Amino acid sequence: MISVDHVTVRLQGRVVLDDVALSLTERRIGVIGDNGSGKSTLAKLLNGLLLPDEGTVTVDGFDTRSHGKEVRSRVGFLFQNPDNQIVMPTVAEDLALGLKPLRLEAERVRQCVSETLERFALSHMADRSAHLLSGGEKQLVALAGVMISEPDILVCDEPTTLLDRRNAALVMKTIAGLSCMVITVTHHVEHLDGFDRVLVIDEGRVAHDGTPDQAIPSYLESLS
Amino acid sequence: MIAGLYLPGDSVIHQLSAPVKLSLMVVMGLALVLVDHIFVMVSVAITTGFVFSVLAGLGFARLWLATRPLLIWVLFIALAQFWFVTAEAAVLVSLRLVTLVWVAALVTYTTRLSEMSDVLVAICSVFRPLGVNPERISFLIALTIRLIPSVFEIVRDVRDVQKARGLERSYTAMFVPVLTRLLREADALSDALVARGFERWGDQQ
Repeated sequence: MISVDHVTVRLQGRVVLDDVALSLTERRIGVIGDNGSGKSTLAKLLNGLLLPDEGTVTVDGFDTRSHGKEVRSRVGFLFQNPDNQIVMPTVAEDLALGLKPLRLEAERVRQCVSETLERFALSHMADRSAHLLSGGEKQLVALAGVMISEPDILVCDEPTTLLDRRNAALVMKTIAGLSCMVITVTHHVEHLDGFDRVLVIDEGRVAHDGTPDQAIPSYLESLS
Repeated sequence: MIAGLYLPGDSVIHQLSAPVKLSLMVVMGLALVLVDHIFVMVSVAITTGFVFSVLAGLGFARLWLATRPLLIWVLFIALAQFWFVTAEAAVLVSLRLVTLVWVAALVTYTTRLSEMSDVLVAICSVFRPLGVNPERISFLIALTIRLIPSVFEIVRDVRDVQKARGLERSYTAMFVPVLTRLLREADALSDALVARGFERWGDQQ
């Protein structure tokens, strides 16, 4: 469970999130809002990439400020641009990199990489250069790189923004098939079908919090 | 974008471990310096070319690609050797240089960066009592290699944009956006590494 307790974040003197209080327990949670509304800032708070100026964020009781390592071992993060997330030259090497902090035996690493490649249907590109893959393939590699360490929660920050519709659908379908809790920040409301809860962020505050049937029409109405 | 020179394959050379390949490379480098007979040198060069192209399955086209950037320097050195020493010395030195580059390229193309990093970690572990963190050094090198093409790509992008604006001769118009993008990329990469659990890597040793 993630608890956001009266959190305020200021960036360069501007209040980006203003006294936000949330308890996140649902299996599928969507976060929508305009550019600059604070939704990506909220996402970065959830695994301690960003620390609040006021208030606390806890994951399973671990404060992101004092227990960053424990938090990040539970909360995986998928970025918008996979090029920033993929570090090693080949797909298999990049997946193995995600296990380095766990300090596993080489044979165990090989086994985990092989299983993860198979799980994400990437086995055929294990030795391919990651930078030569398509955008959708890169995002799947980035996702596999996060999921190889088996986090309990996955936070996705606009994972389909740089992708065409076909690849975006492929990535969202893969994310939908994950068994862990997923929090997805997105501009594409059509990707929130089947979600349990949707948060609408506006000017640093939670403007609406409810089921997709309630929150999405409210968001779309605010745009018109 | 990520640098990657490794070319996947299942040849005998690919299957050799990185420490064996790197050791052979060092031994061969030293041995080549000692060879002073032209026929031996020609034989070694032909054998190395064969191993590269056929045994490792990298092909003659890639052998040529590995050789091409060298040619102007080899020519220059060969002319100097021919002028100041002898024709035989010119041939020996040229073949020695080309063969060395072929061996280095062979190791690079057939060895994963992660395997190279593991060797580096093992070598640097000797200095661990002095406070050196081998994993950090190895990771730093891997990251540097990964960022080289990123830098080139950013420079190319910015140059294209400034050319379209008629500012290709302005150093300020090049430098500022390149630096800004590099800093932004570094920031994003740093976030990604922290998110993947690397913030305390050094502390875990």
